[in-house]
Amino acid sequence: MVAEAIRGSMDRWDLSTRVQERTGDLLSVQPGRPVELSGPPGYGLTRLGFRMLTAESHIAPVVGVDVRGWMSPKAAWETGIVQERLVFVRCADPQLWPRVTAALVEGIRAVYAEVPVGVRDADLRRLAALARARQMRLVLRPLADQLPSGVAHLRLRAMGVAWEGPDRGHGRLETRKLVLEASGKGASGMVQRIEVEDAGEDAVRVVSGLAVGPSRRAVG
Amino acid sequence: MWCPDWPLGRPDAPSDETVLVIGAPERGASRVVAASPDAYGAGVSLGMARREAEGLCPGATVLDRDLGEETRRFDPIVELLSEIIPRVEVSEPGLVFIPVAGAIRYYGGEEAIVELLGGKLAAAGISHRLGLADGPFAAFWAARTAGETQIVTDTPAFLAQLDVATLGHDDLIATFRWLGVDTLGSLAGLPRDAIASRFGPIGLQAHRLAHGEDRMIDPREIPPEAAVESTFEDPVYSTDQLAFSAKQLAARLIADLRARGAAPYRITVIMEGTDGVVRERVWRSADPFTEAALADRVWWQLRAWTESDRGSQRGIVRLKLDPSDLSDDGRQLSFFVDETSRIEAERAIARIQTLVGPDAVLQAVPQGGRMPSEQVAWHRWGEEATVSRPVGAPWPGATPSPTPALVPPEPPRLEVEWDEGTPVRVRLRARWEPVLTWSGPWRMTGNWWKGEGSVDRYQIVTSAGAFLCTVDASGITHLAGVYD
Repeated sequence: MVAEAIRGSMDRWDLSTRVQERTGDLLSVQPGRPVELSGPPGYGLTRLGFRMLTAESHIAPVVGVDVRGWMSPKAAWETGIVQERLVFVRCADPQLWPRVTAALVEGIRAVYAEVPVGVRDADLRRLAALARARQMRLVLRPLADQLPSGVAHLRLRAMGVAWEGPDRGHGRLETRKLVLEASGKGASGMVQRIEVEDAGEDAVRVVSGLAVGPSRRAVG
Repeated sequence: MWCPDWPLGRPDAPSDETVLVIGAPERGASRVVAASPDAYGAGVSLGMARREAEGLCPGATVLDRDLGEETRRFDPIVELLSEIIPRVEVSEPGLVFIPVAGAIRYYGGEEAIVELLGGKLAAAGISHRLGLADGPFAAFWAARTAGETQIVTDTPAFLAQLDVATLGHDDLIATFRWLGVDTLGSLAGLPRDAIASRFGPIGLQAHRLAHGEDRMIDPREIPPEAAVESTFEDPVYSTDQLAFSAKQLAARLIADLRARGAAPYRITVIMEGTDGVVRERVWRSADPFTEAALADRVWWQLRAWTESDRGSQRGIVRLKLDPSDLSDDGRQLSFFVDETSRIEAERAIARIQTLVGPDAVLQAVPQGGRMPSEQVAWHRWGEEATVSRPVGAPWPGATPSPTPALVPPEPPRLEVEWDEGTPVRVRLRARWEPVLTWSGPWRMTGNWWKGEGSVDRYQIVTSAGAFLCTVDASGITHLAGVYD
């Protein structure tokens, strides 16, 4: 009886660990495998994008390409990015943006870039090819719609957000739970849903892998 | 010592035709690295873009540069120079740096050394130029601008008359010219702190070069285990195997040095053949070697040794890479910092500055304040930050964390519908979102003595996310941040 109980507990622990490992991979950006973060502002994707630069900022400079001029360095530092290695490049011109981002891809190891409206699909594909060739980490955040297919290795789409803390005037924002839908080659060609908890003070972390959706055509 | 047009000496270059030798693409452009005299007569110059050169010489034979082959031909010359002065440093085939400080006393003066080296090279039929100056940068340009030999006695004065184009950094040169700085002398006359503030580390390096303060070789204590070595039980003859060994060993060395926070400027390649003879060659680079650059040089050197008459039949039993000089930059780094990435990143960011302007390439430092927009001090990349409010001071009533990830510099108006002091709906673009919950108001009195009114802060939560907003005394709401 005891042995069975322990085995059952170990199996549940093992399953939980596997889920954590798999979903944890979905929240990191691999060299040469661009990630797309899509969803409206307010869902927590900027923080997620910053979080993806954190590890790289400990060994080399990282860059945020800021289209609106709204990115907050303090929020980036809260995710663990090294303060003196974070550089912001402001560029809202869709004609200039591909050149600027390509020049960054040539020399920077990790870039989080907002994509302005009006950038041509061909430029985005060339940029993704360059990131693959240079084996750098690129996170793209389109400000309108989604990126064309063939650009991102992994697409993370924000499906919903819920906050804990405020209560009709009392309390304050404390913890955000964000539901993401992962698709593309980086998600093994399947659509997966994951829930991410963000307590603000430390790194964003995965709470659970919720469900694995039906297999669809791969993106990227 | 510089051999102009060394790439032209390759066996497959036709001697009776116009020839252009083109280097590997760099920053998106292939450039001329050598040309035959009639091409120069037609207006071609070294460093010219391939398309432009082909336009000037439409019938020219265009050859791609083969650095491995050039190294093979150049190796005997390095051997010849090493017989006179040891520790010759190869920068690329056709260009070597020779440290002469000790040799001056031995041979009895600078003129004697130059005469001796020139005589040996002339006897071997090598077209060459010799430049003698303080530091590699000045010596290189002394050789480039020499008729045949040039001994520079006053290095700062020599550098002062050189054009800023000698710095070799296109974006930086364009900016210097735009500012009216055309020579290294005029650059050296500018205050160093102003240059450092405006151009960052790249500008600082340029200013040092203009002053004649070249990077001095400053040997640092290198633990013996920093050198990496491969011993082959079966001698290696195949070029593929040699290329693989070179790449593997270069990767090991760079990774080991990176872990020590150092980057090599100079590497000694040591090879032992099956005949028991140990050969070694020193390679140097203006920038710290990257893994790929080092692997290339080791491979060229191995090819030169194995394909020459002296090594072809013997094979290699041992290969060693010894970092004999590490960069000063490496000392300033903490453990695990990637020096090469830092340099590449600085170049990329400097290039971006020329594309978008210095005001669009920014960094920030923390400072005190109550609103998220007040809590960071922005400054241009490469310049010193000015913090106007101490971060360590108490800031009662500061907006609590988490910080909104998006903070508009000029808070825009936000339409909020209120019902007896509680927010009910928020207009987001074209639609109204119901408020799920909120926190606040938190009153911020502001600088009342300057006429600023007080504002109330709210954190408003909707199904589309959370927002930080301020409501002033007249009831107008502004968006202060988006918790994105």
